[in-house]
Amino acid sequence: MTDFLEFTIDKFTFRTATDRFYNDEGVWAKPENNYVRIGISDYLQQRSGDVAFAEVKSEGTTVIFGEEIAVIETIKVNISLTSPVAGKVIEVNSAMETSPEAINQDPYGTGWLVVIEAAELAIDLKHLLDPQAYFAKIKLEAEQEVKKE
Amino acid sequence: MTNIDHKEKVVIIPCSGIGKTYGTVSREAAYNVTEDLRPEDTRLVALSKLVLGDEEARSIVEGNPAITIDGCKLACATKMVQCSGGRIARDYAVLDVYRRYKQFKPQGIAELNEGGEQLAQALANEITQLVDELISGKRGEDNG
Repeated sequence: MTDFLEFTIDKFTFRTATDRFYNDEGVWAKPENNYVRIGISDYLQQRSGDVAFAEVKSEGTTVIFGEEIAVIETIKVNISLTSPVAGKVIEVNSAMETSPEAINQDPYGTGWLVVIEAAELAIDLKHLLDPQAYFAKIKLEAEQEVKKE
Repeated sequence: MTNIDHKEKVVIIPCSGIGKTYGTVSREAAYNVTEDLRPEDTRLVALSKLVLGDEEARSIVEGNPAITIDGCKLACATKMVQCSGGRIARDYAVLDVYRRYKQFKPQGIAELNEGGEQLAQALANEITQLVDELISGKRGEDNG
């Protein structure tokens, strides 16, 4: 069972799953044996708005660290999401085709995007944030934005 | 299955969200149906009147089948009609409609772009078809 770190600002509560790593954008990487499941954080999905479409790289695609892995179109913005690990896409979440709202409804669960067979996981992980660091980053960011208002 | 009495009109209640593209799409579609496509069979009710407890608006909603058009997942139009004792024949969410018409990407707020206008038109066409079905008694009012 996944544990979460969470904070509330105004009427919004943001959760950070503690069993995975994050890049600066809020794309998470969850190691599962030799594979890595990829998705976006609760913070990123809430800030981006309801997802209308998600276009994810197809199975067999090879990506390098930081390369685009998916594009999501929300009611507010189009976001290019970069891969937190290098490797080969071995599975794509079919729900992205039919019900991309899963990203909003369950960002750490059914809203995952792809599974990648990592090429250099140990190296990539060194460039990612652990949950505590990501949590501190987004909390500070959110607090600063509130102060600006 | 409930057929509509010939004296009844279908009430259209769009999102009242100002400053939101999808809210604008919902209102454009509603105006299109109630003013141009089926003015004889439909009636527009402003969501804000229901929120303010306007007696006439409430009475209209209570006495006629309603089609709600929500601009976001808060679904204010649908919830307010339900709270007002209305009978919802169909609740539309603009985001779901956009997913069916991906080629019509809406942008703009006070003025929609071409994609937004086309999406509003597509939604208006869907609503018009439903209105016709309701009026002709081919369809019940139970969301089915």
